[in-house]
Amino acid sequence: MKKQVLRENIVIISDDSRQNVGKQLYDTLCKQKKEVQYISIGNVNVKPCYNCAGCTYKTYGKCVVQDDGDYIYPKLLNATTWIIVTPLMWGTYSFQTKRVLDKVALIGDRHYYVSKKELVKRMQGNMKKYFAIGIKDECSLEEKETFTSLIKENITIMSVTGEAFVLREDSSQESILQIAREVSK
Amino acid sequence: MNQTVIINLSPREQGSSSMLSYMCKEYLVSKGKQVKLFHLYKSIQSIDLLLKEIKEADTIILSGPSYINHFPADTIYLLEKLKENEAIFHNQNVYGIIQGGMPYIHTHESGVKTLALFCKDVAISYNGSFIIGFGAMLNGKPLNQLVNGKKVEKNFNLFLQHILRGSSSPDSLYQNCQIKVPGFLYVMLSKVMNTKINKELKEKGIDYQQESPYWQIGKEQNMQ
Repeated sequence: MKKQVLRENIVIISDDSRQNVGKQLYDTLCKQKKEVQYISIGNVNVKPCYNCAGCTYKTYGKCVVQDDGDYIYPKLLNATTWIIVTPLMWGTYSFQTKRVLDKVALIGDRHYYVSKKELVKRMQGNMKKYFAIGIKDECSLEEKETFTSLIKENITIMSVTGEAFVLREDSSQESILQIAREVSK
Repeated sequence: MNQTVIINLSPREQGSSSMLSYMCKEYLVSKGKQVKLFHLYKSIQSIDLLLKEIKEADTIILSGPSYINHFPADTIYLLEKLKENEAIFHNQNVYGIIQGGMPYIHTHESGVKTLALFCKDVAISYNGSFIIGFGAMLNGKPLNQLVNGKKVEKNFNLFLQHILRGSSSPDSLYQNCQIKVPGFLYVMLSKVMNTKINKELKEKGIDYQQESPYWQIGKEQNMQ
């Protein structure tokens, strides 16, 4: 797969229909002079993947359906670090966030690889790190563990590094700064 | 009441999740149950009808594929709608089925963990799930086509018996189906699959090493 070498840059994908933490994190990273872009997906329209194989044959590497994914996937392909900020829904992403992630294989490598004695996939582009922040005020330990293990699986299958965080909507500036430090490491 | 509602959570109506939904339906109908099957992506247009049927049900089965380690997006939309209409619940029994391409259980497990958390939230009974790996090999075909087909078929039938009885299905049923494959075999398997992928593309005149079209789209966006 041909790769285009880019400098470190961050894309924040934020379902901000019910949270403002993504925006705060963006402001924090901007103040630190990081190269960062903010994509609000609270109102975007990314249609479902019908597994039609159009991206395999008809329009190789691209979804045959035109929607807001045409704006989002090029941004993700360019980024070295992805940060997903989503309302936490029973240990998983929000509906809007998952619509974007469901078609992420569009910018994935089709081939199989082996890591730690198991089959994995890889992404195209220069993605190295994946962070996901689930926002929920009252989150049980069980739900936090479910979200953390989901993110761990995402990180494994995409062959990148990263981490999951769970924050309250009214999180302190200090906890946002802490995440900014983690993603910049 | 005494009705079972099966929901195929896949956007595809002919794929493996759908096939598993129909397997559940056939079994339960043969045992005298009243069963209604819905395809989520179609039913979402008339969600009120689906909610009404769920209210009338004593058993709910959710069957879906694993898209990036979890059920497809609209499942979350469905759960949100169910939560908004919590009054339709009267301690129905909920069962989940998730199947995905990777052969490991842990790859697909998050989907059913969400179902368990949801059931706890709305105070209904989560009675277990069945997780199937190697799903890509299935592509809507019967379970015995899997490499571990005999075991999966046998244990899936035991899972169906739990659904019929309304009893809790233990995770060991699907855990026992997992095949332990040494790492070097996966290295070989990946090589075989990659050669197949490249060959198929080549036959269709597609250069698999070409850069993603999204690079060019991105460049054009940046110029605007």
